[in-house]
Amino acid sequence: MDSSQLPLDLGHRPALGREDFLIAPCNEVAVAWIDRWPDWPGHAMGFYGPSGCGKTHLAQVWRADSAAVLVTAEGLAEMDADVLLAGQRNCVVDDIVLALTESSELQRRLFHLYNYVREEKGYLLFTGQEAPARWAVGLPDLASRLAAVPAFALGLPDDFLFEALLVKLFYDRQLTISKEVLRFLVLRLDRSFEAARQIVSTLDQASLASQREITIPFIRGILEKETRE
Amino acid sequence: MAQSEVISSIQLQWDRVLGRLRAEVGEAAYRSWLKPLTLLSSDDSCVRMAVPTRFMRDWVAGNYQDRIQALWQDEVGVSSAVEIVVLPLARPVPKPALVEVGVEAEVPLSGKPESPREEAELPAIAEAPRVAEFQSLSGSLDPRFTFDNFVVGKPNELAYAAARRVAEAENVPFNPLFLYGGVGLGKTHLMHAIAHQIRNVYPQKKVIYLSAEKFMYQFVRALRTKDTMSFKEQFRSVDVLMIDDVQFIGGREATQEEFFHTFNALVDQNRQVVISADKSPSDLAGVEDRMKSRLGWGLVADIHPTTYELRLGILESKAEQLDVIIPQKVIEFLAHKITSNIRELEGALNRIVAHATLVGRAVSLETTQEVLHDLLRANDRRVTIEEIQKKVAEHFNVRISDMHSSRRARAVARPRQIAMYLSKHLTSRSLPEIGRKFGGRDHTTVMHAVKKVEELKSGDVEFSEDIELLRRMLEN
Repeated sequence: MDSSQLPLDLGHRPALGREDFLIAPCNEVAVAWIDRWPDWPGHAMGFYGPSGCGKTHLAQVWRADSAAVLVTAEGLAEMDADVLLAGQRNCVVDDIVLALTESSELQRRLFHLYNYVREEKGYLLFTGQEAPARWAVGLPDLASRLAAVPAFALGLPDDFLFEALLVKLFYDRQLTISKEVLRFLVLRLDRSFEAARQIVSTLDQASLASQREITIPFIRGILEKETRE
Repeated sequence: MAQSEVISSIQLQWDRVLGRLRAEVGEAAYRSWLKPLTLLSSDDSCVRMAVPTRFMRDWVAGNYQDRIQALWQDEVGVSSAVEIVVLPLARPVPKPALVEVGVEAEVPLSGKPESPREEAELPAIAEAPRVAEFQSLSGSLDPRFTFDNFVVGKPNELAYAAARRVAEAENVPFNPLFLYGGVGLGKTHLMHAIAHQIRNVYPQKKVIYLSAEKFMYQFVRALRTKDTMSFKEQFRSVDVLMIDDVQFIGGREATQEEFFHTFNALVDQNRQVVISADKSPSDLAGVEDRMKSRLGWGLVADIHPTTYELRLGILESKAEQLDVIIPQKVIEFLAHKITSNIRELEGALNRIVAHATLVGRAVSLETTQEVLHDLLRANDRRVTIEEIQKKVAEHFNVRISDMHSSRRARAVARPRQIAMYLSKHLTSRSLPEIGRKFGGRDHTTVMHAVKKVEELKSGDVEFSEDIELLRRMLEN
């Protein structure tokens, strides 16, 4: 019988301000465009990259500057562009590609939203794992517009960013770790945002459940358990 | 001592402290955590420094504050407290941009977005008794979509000539003018150009330009507010009505009916109607037959897909408008590769120029391929360790099995180290994982290999170029 307590998932709020964003070679172009807004090469822009690479965070930073409305697949399906934007001219279209591929009605609605924002002289930021030009869209009017959207990649982190990223993820959960723990993790993890996020969440849960500090022996135990499973 | 000398001497002391810290903590920790520290001030009791983010402050305070304090005391000879504060990095001031013109770059790069009031100062239609109402009905016109900026070639010369005729004729030459062609071939450009030209030549004429979807929205809103009478009045009192992308009216019966009546009323009064669509009138889906036949009464002009020559012409004209030098090689490359339509072609050129402006480099064939890789390549394939081993083995003419073997002869050990180095940089794999793929080696062996290759690279230009070549082959 496992004696560990089940921790309550109280959730945590990641820090998403501009000053909390970690700038590194893999994302500096995207950050530069956010900082330059509204000096953009067009009224639409796309950021793409692997899950957890900071697209949402960066979009959040831009929203704070631009009062942009966050548009999701559900919202787009339910509301016309003018209602959706409710008096604003800018919007972020976040992670919509899956729903978009499946619904031609949604494609038509996105096309209208795109035109609406352009008419209103607003700005539109697309985010997704793939560049808008690669989205599988059947509506030719929309496809050609998406293909012309300047898109910039956010890449995999380098060692320096990866280390800082781990610290930030722990910090978001109000956890402090030692330099030794950090070094130990950096050497043993897949250098991806996803792996960093996962291990921090796992360690947080496990440490809460067992009421133990996050130390190297503790992590080793968790990693070994994961490998066995 | 002058003020500036005091400051520079404190800065020198701080630099020495940083140098010692660097030696103590190693390059990685130094670059991540200590290099970003900025010295703010120092007096007898306290030295203050800033970091750009909150969590960095916590990390530096928790891990390095004691050492900083000790080293600082060594340096200045008195014990003082260390205070670390958060000071977000100042944002770079935007450079004046080069890019200002473009089919898809409807919003100029420089300056703030225009406010709605400014928009109202550039009316799409001429003074009229009810200007305000017309403005709310009419869509905004892109000032860059003029006849002068339209590049004419074989595929679009008929449509261009017809558009000019409609814009410049005193009496209605043919009604309606129906422009059609695939997406992104310049229909909207021609529509806007007609509206601009009429405004210039006949400022007294009332012109409404709007997309079919906007017509639909307006009509639905009028229905909702039970104000269809004034809706009808407004639309039927114009001199020129232009509806863009009329294919989107298909299937919506009430809107189509209203459009049909408006259309008939205007044509009967001999007012000009200009329509654009992605198909010819008879091919429009979901549109009633009587409507199709009426749409085809005037002149129907189609725009064909672009030719290589037209694409070259468009790119050259566009580069001239942007006032940037684009190498002929890049222009030919784009004209050859991006054949779908003009919007994508100009979009691609915009991206290249915007990127070049951002990073402050000239446009080259290499940066072009890099910036447009999402357009040019079908997908982003992640390179695997196995592929790296194979490529490196081929390149150095050793066997793939040597990548896993325990042989230490330099002829095989060096390629193996290079393959480890590339695995570290081109994949996201951890050091233990890379070690496993190279015959079950320890992660410290991989670390050593990475360091070794970095050393060789910095000391030997030829070696460094060799590695770059391998990297590029693997990435493409």
